[in-house]
Amino acid sequence: MTEEPYRWLEAISNRREYIRDRSKGGTPVFAVSRPEGILLLGVGQGQSKVFEIYDRHAVAALGHPVDIEKLRQTAIEAAHLEGFNRSARDVTLRRLISFSLSGMLKNAFEQVFAPPIIVEAIFAELGDSPAQDALVRLHYDGDHQYSTSRVVVAHRETGTETQAAEWISKTLASTDPLPRVANVCLAAWQALNDGKSFQDLAAPSETRLQIPGKVIEAALLDRQLPGPVHYRPLDLK
Amino acid sequence: MTGDFLALLQQSPFPSVVGDGHNPMPLEATTVFAFHCADGVIIGGDHRATAGHTIFSDRTEKILELDSHSLMAIAGVPAMAFEMARTLQTAFEFYRRSQLQAMSLAGKVRALSRLLRENLPATLQGVGAVSPVFAGVESDDPGARPVIYFYDPLGAHFEAAAYAGSGSGTTTIKSVLHYLETWGHPRPGEMPLDQAVVLANRLLMTAAEFDAATGGVHAEQQEFATIKLLSTRGIRTISAQEQARFWKDAQP
Repeated sequence: MTEEPYRWLEAISNRREYIRDRSKGGTPVFAVSRPEGILLLGVGQGQSKVFEIYDRHAVAALGHPVDIEKLRQTAIEAAHLEGFNRSARDVTLRRLISFSLSGMLKNAFEQVFAPPIIVEAIFAELGDSPAQDALVRLHYDGDHQYSTSRVVVAHRETGTETQAAEWISKTLASTDPLPRVANVCLAAWQALNDGKSFQDLAAPSETRLQIPGKVIEAALLDRQLPGPVHYRPLDLK
Repeated sequence: MTGDFLALLQQSPFPSVVGDGHNPMPLEATTVFAFHCADGVIIGGDHRATAGHTIFSDRTEKILELDSHSLMAIAGVPAMAFEMARTLQTAFEFYRRSQLQAMSLAGKVRALSRLLRENLPATLQGVGAVSPVFAGVESDDPGARPVIYFYDPLGAHFEAAAYAGSGSGTTTIKSVLHYLETWGHPRPGEMPLDQAVVLANRLLMTAAEFDAATGGVHAEQQEFATIKLLSTRGIRTISAQEQARFWKDAQP
């Protein structure tokens, strides 16, 4: 089948459709670069969505739990081997994405007789200042974009991601504390989940860090944390 | 996905430092020790590395933090010892991140045993013997008590009831600690932090008096031992300034 170009393109197209269909139940995850560090946030029903990768690296992802786990393990292995064989400073997001993760996802996506990896992810790398932070949006087919803004959203529908990220950027002031940042992300989460437009969406007037029946998971790559490890889970209650 | 960094490392091995029969004079000798005090475990050591009769360095850090709740004091050949510490640092973090839980204290103790056993060829060749002291506390148990382990160069580990030491100056120190644990008032295990830090420095001064390979403490030049405190809250490095204050307060 794959010897024929048209059949191959059709198979790839079917694959995209299959992945989109399987991703329907997924809810968005967020990464926001702030003066304190990089906040990563996800909302789920017990399944973790935010993970530590290395000293200054973390990931937030949605998709099939098994595939999120596969991506996470691959990233952790690559980062630790690199950190051990060279140094912690040599573990960079650019190298992790380009040489380990993106290729692995692309291969899995294009091998049409094997199951694809159903995952949409944001990888974050903490710098010494917000200007040096790196946020990368990584897709199920290996495609990825380095963000030029301080907010990245990953959602099952990539079209609304940008609107959500722009709304969060516009709504947040540089001096807002982390609970307020989380609150704004949760308002965007609710809007994305309900299919609401961001055009007329008002900024949340009060802090509400709970969603009934859901577990909010947040972590900070903390710029001020002493020692090599900068990741710490955040308790938003 | 077992969280076993050593198994992963074998797929992408780091070159061995053991050569093909060429035996350079190894860097060695040291005094490192650990003892219980009222606030946890004090682990300390000197800064000297020697090669035969030559002082190779007087700025060597021998008390290495493996993670937030475990420490290793190294004695023996630094090339091997530092590599073991680096391997364990990565292995513990790799396990914690990949398995989403910290490695148990028993697992960490065994991991160091395994590295020592795998180092057997270098030990037998006389170029790579390492005899460390390990101190750790269960990170997930708020009521856990810090423990001290010492090892033989082949990897057997033993829990120390009150104290442990390693290196060429340790015989002297262990004699003093035995005396204090038996007849001291207070015993080292009852000492608050300031007294324990002063004792650690005095122990090193005593070891340096009888062992040329142990770097001493020179309080008048603000040169103190490397001293860390391990407690249920984690690891705290006792800075030179803090040690100087404790030292000054202890003077009659």
